Amino acid sequence: MKKKQVRVQQPEIDRRTFLSTLGWAGVGVSAVAAALGNILYLKPAVDYGPATVIRAGRPDDYKEGIKELLEDERIAVIRDKKGFAAISVTCTHLGCTVRISDAGFECPCHGSQYDNDGYVTGGPAPRPLDWYQVSVAPNGELEIDKGVIVPPGTYFKVS
Amino acid sequence: MSEQPTTLTKQPQVRAKGNFFGNVWRSLFRYGRLPEDAEGQSYVVFNSLFLHIHPVKVSKHSLRLTYTYGLGVIATILFLVLTFTGIWLMFYYFPSATEAYNRMLDLRSSVDFGFVLRNIHKWAAETMVVFVILHMARVFFTGAYKPPREFNWVIGVILLLLTLGLSFTGYLLPWDQLAFWAITVGTSIAGYAPVLGQPLRKFLLGADVVGQEALVRFYVLHVVILPGILSIFLAVHFWRIRKDGGLSHPADNDIPPEGGGQ
Repeated sequence: MKKKQVRVQQPEIDRRTFLSTLGWAGVGVSAVAAALGNILYLKPAVDYGPATVIRAGRPDDYKEGIKELLEDERIAVIRDKKGFAAISVTCTHLGCTVRISDAGFECPCHGSQYDNDGYVTGGPAPRPLDWYQVSVAPNGELEIDKGVIVPPGTYFKVS
Repeated sequence: MSEQPTTLTKQPQVRAKGNFFGNVWRSLFRYGRLPEDAEGQSYVVFNSLFLHIHPVKVSKHSLRLTYTYGLGVIATILFLVLTFTGIWLMFYYFPSATEAYNRMLDLRSSVDFGFVLRNIHKWAAETMVVFVILHMARVFFTGAYKPPREFNWVIGVILLLLTLGLSFTGYLLPWDQLAFWAITVGTSIAGYAPVLGQPLRKFLLGADVVGQEALVRFYVLHVVILPGILSIFLAVHFWRIRKDGGLSHPADNDIPPEGGGQ
């Protein structure tokens, strides 16, 4: 009786196959883990790009109704009765710098056109120009945060 | 090679005798006097590191210059030229956002023959892309992508992509306006790819905009990673040419008799 039971319970895979499978599974898991580790290694937790918060001079330096271009920062600062706004001049198509035109903005690379509020009026650009948050630093200078994108048409009261 | 003779009687004898230079020669090339019979000569090719890349026998058909125009060989030689000139350029160039552009200018004005090396590197790079494409065109028009060479065609496509990758990464290194905007636009295009686009863009740039991080990453890709991968695939590419029976040619019984046809 006992002997018969032992024969029925013969394992379906033998020891060699089991251990070999286990070994290869270990190799596979290690390989995947190593690959993931390498991918993570290439994504630093800090952002090495330029600072997103920049100072843009005193509010009184800006005249009402004129788009002031900050070339190095790639921002156009607008002073309006409603307050201050900062519009990115980086084309939303492929990242060229747009220039100020009569109708608003236009991109020299592939001809995207934007109106004064940065809405697309022509060309391949997929979305409006970014608007950034504007505030006043403790020393009274304008502070623009390129990391905070606000809806087009948002003006910030500065007093 | 399936027709390899089983007997090893014709193996060239490698004996350590004679003068010093003779010994060095035999150690490097593993033969002394060139054997006069075909089989012995075959073994010279088999046994030499420097010759074994060549097939022992080639089809008469594929010896015609106008069959390949040597396009693949030219692309390979250009890769070697690029490797050597690139290593020389590395003595002066370094991937710093503040220094790279000045170093590039210095190569043109302050380093003897610097402008020569830089221009050889530039022109060889551009002609390499041209010759890789011409080589692929030749392979296509002669039907050399068909079995049993279909795997080598795939390797060739990978080599084309690696060549274009080297072109793209090298384009940023002068760090001038052209480089900056080309890579700004190029990586933005990569960003439009579905799902993997933005991660790929971030991986290439290391930041949100083209800057110091992007310069280092492109430099490492350009001088180490891509040439290394390309060299490995190039070795497989050459190995497959031999294993697939040399260059594509008509079956031997299709070759017209001497003086006839073509």
